Amino acid sequence: MTLELVVDGLTVLFLLTGCFFFLAGTVGLLRFPDVYCRLHALTKADSLGLGFVVAGVALQLRSWHEVLLLGILWFLVLSAAATICYLVASEALAQGVDPVGSGASQGQSGTEEAP
Amino acid sequence: MTAFLVGVAFFLVANLAGGLVRVIRGPTQADRVIAAQLFGTTGVAILLVLSVAADSRPLMDTALIFALLAVVMTVVFVKRGWVRAPGTPTAPEDA
Amino acid sequence: MTDVVTTGLLLDGLIALLLAGLAFRLLRTRDLFEAIMLFVAYGLTLALAWIRVGAPDIALAEAALGAGVTGALFLNAWHRLAVRAGSDDRLPMEADP
Repeated sequence: MTLELVVDGLTVLFLLTGCFFFLAGTVGLLRFPDVYCRLHALTKADSLGLGFVVAGVALQLRSWHEVLLLGILWFLVLSAAATICYLVASEALAQGVDPVGSGASQGQSGTEEAP
Repeated sequence: MTAFLVGVAFFLVANLAGGLVRVIRGPTQADRVIAAQLFGTTGVAILLVLSVAADSRPLMDTALIFALLAVVMTVVFVKRGWVRAPGTPTAPEDA
Repeated sequence: MTDVVTTGLLLDGLIALLLAGLAFRLLRTRDLFEAIMLFVAYGLTLALAWIRVGAPDIALAEAALGAGVTGALFLNAWHRLAVRAGSDDRLPMEADP
């Protein structure tokens, strides 16, 4: 009984922490000045948030098989985030999107003018 | 507990909607490619939380498909989707 | 119990709103690349909706076929059109809104 209470409390804690990181990722995605910063917010903060959500969810599962599946899932998402971040950023650089603060002005600008 | 889990799912869907604003507004194509990875993380989290809330195992397999799809879609976008700006060497036209 | 029902209704309402907004924007936009990306996002959101309705197998098919394969095919077609139109990232049929 009391063990269940502790496990449920831990789940709530992990899920709330995960929600915080997802919120941080979304705010970063909306507010950061250029593509590279936004990629950073999306792939790092959201992956960490997903890690907390996976931890919270794994505590509620009954079989080790499902926990293992969740672990594999998180590892897959982590490696995918790293790969995607590198691919998109290098391709954006090759297309001539300037990083903010680089001082260069040729090519298309990755920054968004204030409304 | 179930109400809390569904509430967390609601919050995550709201985050997803916020990220999609960036996909719609984003000035460069790179900002739009982000949509696939957005579903790869936030969508997976939503599915995991819902799978515990509904106590249903197949939802976890759907989450796995979402995660796999994000990688495949983004690689397709980068390799086939983009056309480079004039002046830069273009990618080979056909594979 | 009623708490679960209320939160569930809120979640369903948000997903429905998101679907409607995505569909509207997807049909209205002039930028083909944005339309393809929104199509993929629409398919994945629709998969979430199928989950909420309690049909995970249809959600699987929607995510893999509706969003994944169709989106990749659209992109391939867009790539060919854009290459044919010259090394410009705008298609000739596009106009500024």
